[in-house]
Amino acid sequence: MPTLIRLADGRFSNAEDVFTDVADEDDIPAGPVILSLTRFQAEGDALVTAGRTVGVRIQTDEAIEDLAYDLPRLALVAVVFPKFRDGRTFTTAALLRERFAYKGEVRAVGDVLTQQANFMVRTGFDSFAPADGATPEQWARAAGLFRHVYQRAADHRPPAFEERG
Amino acid sequence: MKALTANRLIDGEVVFWQAGQWVERFADAQLFADDDAAGPAAVDTAKTQPTVIVEPYLIDLTQGPAGLAPVSYRERIRALGPTNEPTHGKQAEGGAAIAALQAATGAARSTGRVDLIRRK
Amino acid sequence: MYSYDIIDQEFLEDRAAEFRGQVVARLAGDITEDQFKPLRLMNGLYLQLHAYMLRVAVPYGSLNPTQFRAFAHIARTWDKGYGHFTTRQNIQFNWIKLGDTPDILDHLAGVQMHAIQTSGNCIRNVTSDPYAGATAQEVDDPRVWSEVLRQWSTLHPEFSYLPRKFKIAVTASEIDRTAARAHDIGLKVLRGADGALGFEVMVGGGQGRTPYLAPTIKPFLPAARLISYLEAILRVYNRHGRRDNSYKARIKILVASLGAEEFGRQVEEEWLKIGEGRDLPDTELARIRGSFIRVPFETAPPHSDIFDAEHAADRSFARFVRNNVKAHKQPGYAIVEISLKAPGATPGDASAEQMDAVADLAERYGLSDIRVTHEQNLVLPHVKLDDVPAVHRALQSVGLATSNISLISDIIACPGLDYCALANARAIPVAQAIQDRFADADRAEDIGELKIKISGCINACGHHHIGHIGVLGVDKKGEEFYQLSLGGSGAEDASLASILGPALPADKVADAVDKLVETYLGLRQADERFLDTFRRAGMAPFKEAVYADAH
Repeated sequence: MPTLIRLADGRFSNAEDVFTDVADEDDIPAGPVILSLTRFQAEGDALVTAGRTVGVRIQTDEAIEDLAYDLPRLALVAVVFPKFRDGRTFTTAALLRERFAYKGEVRAVGDVLTQQANFMVRTGFDSFAPADGATPEQWARAAGLFRHVYQRAADHRPPAFEERG
Repeated sequence: MKALTANRLIDGEVVFWQAGQWVERFADAQLFADDDAAGPAAVDTAKTQPTVIVEPYLIDLTQGPAGLAPVSYRERIRALGPTNEPTHGKQAEGGAAIAALQAATGAARSTGRVDLIRRK
Repeated sequence: MYSYDIIDQEFLEDRAAEFRGQVVARLAGDITEDQFKPLRLMNGLYLQLHAYMLRVAVPYGSLNPTQFRAFAHIARTWDKGYGHFTTRQNIQFNWIKLGDTPDILDHLAGVQMHAIQTSGNCIRNVTSDPYAGATAQEVDDPRVWSEVLRQWSTLHPEFSYLPRKFKIAVTASEIDRTAARAHDIGLKVLRGADGALGFEVMVGGGQGRTPYLAPTIKPFLPAARLISYLEAILRVYNRHGRRDNSYKARIKILVASLGAEEFGRQVEEEWLKIGEGRDLPDTELARIRGSFIRVPFETAPPHSDIFDAEHAADRSFARFVRNNVKAHKQPGYAIVEISLKAPGATPGDASAEQMDAVADLAERYGLSDIRVTHEQNLVLPHVKLDDVPAVHRALQSVGLATSNISLISDIIACPGLDYCALANARAIPVAQAIQDRFADADRAEDIGELKIKISGCINACGHHHIGHIGVLGVDKKGEEFYQLSLGGSGAEDASLASILGPALPADKVADAVDKLVETYLGLRQADERFLDTFRRAGMAPFKEAVYADAH
């Protein structure tokens, strides 16, 4: 099981993963669960109504808009990186934070590499399951390599044009 | 015949396999018969050296007018250097071995279409 | 010119430090070549046939003498004494060692230069008009907007892993020197009916395997909304561009498959949702604009006795003026183009000595401003007419006074198989053979504007799709062959070239071009260019001339 790194209050630290990532063909166990979008659409309502803690796993070919109405009820959205080059993940996270004002956990899973930590943090991810076994210290260093940024993004870092202001 | 080639990691230099070593001259490359299992075995060994070389592969050789040379012009250019700068790359050294590779370069072989262009 | 402040400078230092760490990790075996390759590519470092090649960005083709001398220094210290200017207005060094690249990037950072996003599936270095700030044709200075885009696109968190590379050009003139429609996004600065600044937005152009010219999806975008609109385009592309096949992953394929209208509708819908929050504040725009307007032109008469006397006395100077000297917006000044297409030279190459000489000239006579054109030449955009003769003589002394801008010997050629690992055939020797065939300067001038563009493979770095005569190197059964095409243009009258006929062997290309030119001269009416004659007369007479005996 890969290490889980959480970002909270500007600090990166190891965290226990309380969720069970449930494959579509498996039974739903007790405790917090992460379901695929399809399964959530079929069974999620009942689980949430029963007071269960539910997260959804979203693939890069799925539209985050399909979850829009359910987001306030979700504890977590796990954005799957099928390979690190598939940059749709960054748009998904940006939309979650900036368009849908999602306040829950946005987790990077799959081919999650330290070299992209900066972009993940900037687009609004706050938990990470590094495929390369990075430690929180390594992750923090990669995410903080640049003293300045040039764009507004979900992390609310002041871009260069505001620093200059 | 075949030879094993790659680019050296630290500087990108074209190198050839010679009995467990990487050498810079094509003329020094170890030659493998087409059916010699030692060729693919050398590729496998090369793949275990990712901090030494990049992308090892076997190239086909053929007897040119002045000696053995790579079949493909891409590989001849790798073994010589860029044709627009004759003093750059391995060709700068000159000598018989380089001349043999250059002789194999030649112009593209004529085809029937060549004669379809009416000359002035 | 834009000058980096401490923020821009620290950003470059951080980037150079990051890459140094990545190189150390690779050499130590801590990361694999597969992991390292995308990292080095995002720093412009390719592994080519003979060595590594480092592509250094020249943001919107504009640089100062200190930066130009840094190129000369790199060429001397870490390469073989020369560099190659590209159709992206960048420079490439052909003989770089991986172990040296951290030092090279440090050296570049010291003069506010870098190799960021000169490769990879990200927003590449923005290109612009090499005459910006000097031509009376422009409605605004396109460098202002190019600099805005440089900052916005640099390590963009959402758009650094796009389906494929992404190229943006900015022009502000009716005369297009950027090949705007051959870009993923072409931006043309306009003034609206009320005089307000805006952009015509063209999306979905590109060359490569499947060439397209970009259709206009928005005829007038208010200038202040540029960033939010580009974010909308990039977001639609990032989400819906194809990722299953790299040959179909450019935005041109998405635009073509949806249709420009539907693509534009999707962008508009996304743009409305994004709102104005992403647009650049007026204060920052004013700051950037301010750095481009401080050009200390002197008040000078529109004519120069020194210039006129040299023009009357020296035929070589007169030829230089006819072909390489262009009108400046400021009376008493001229734009001087420096051809990197001397007979027998490699198109786009300059030696360290030549680079130093150009830097000196820019400092002494050119208000310290140097440009790179996408046609692989250099420009001194601000030279006083009084000084043009001295500049010409100085250029002559370093072999840079070739008077052939836009003529048949001003050929674009990619490095081709002499250097490039992707190439199928050589491009440089073909260019040299054509240059040699048309070495007679009087004949070249009589032929007039004729743009030959040569690519060594289907990726079309040599822009063959938009050449008046395009030449594409192909591998036919292991041998170099060349496919000719006619009628392309990367200018304001943009068009894609059509294939002339079966590919030719290398030693027949110059003959074929000669035939095409003779045909043109025979058909030419009044002052038609080759391209005009081709458009009027069609392919048939040209095809007949080259393949006369084929049937």
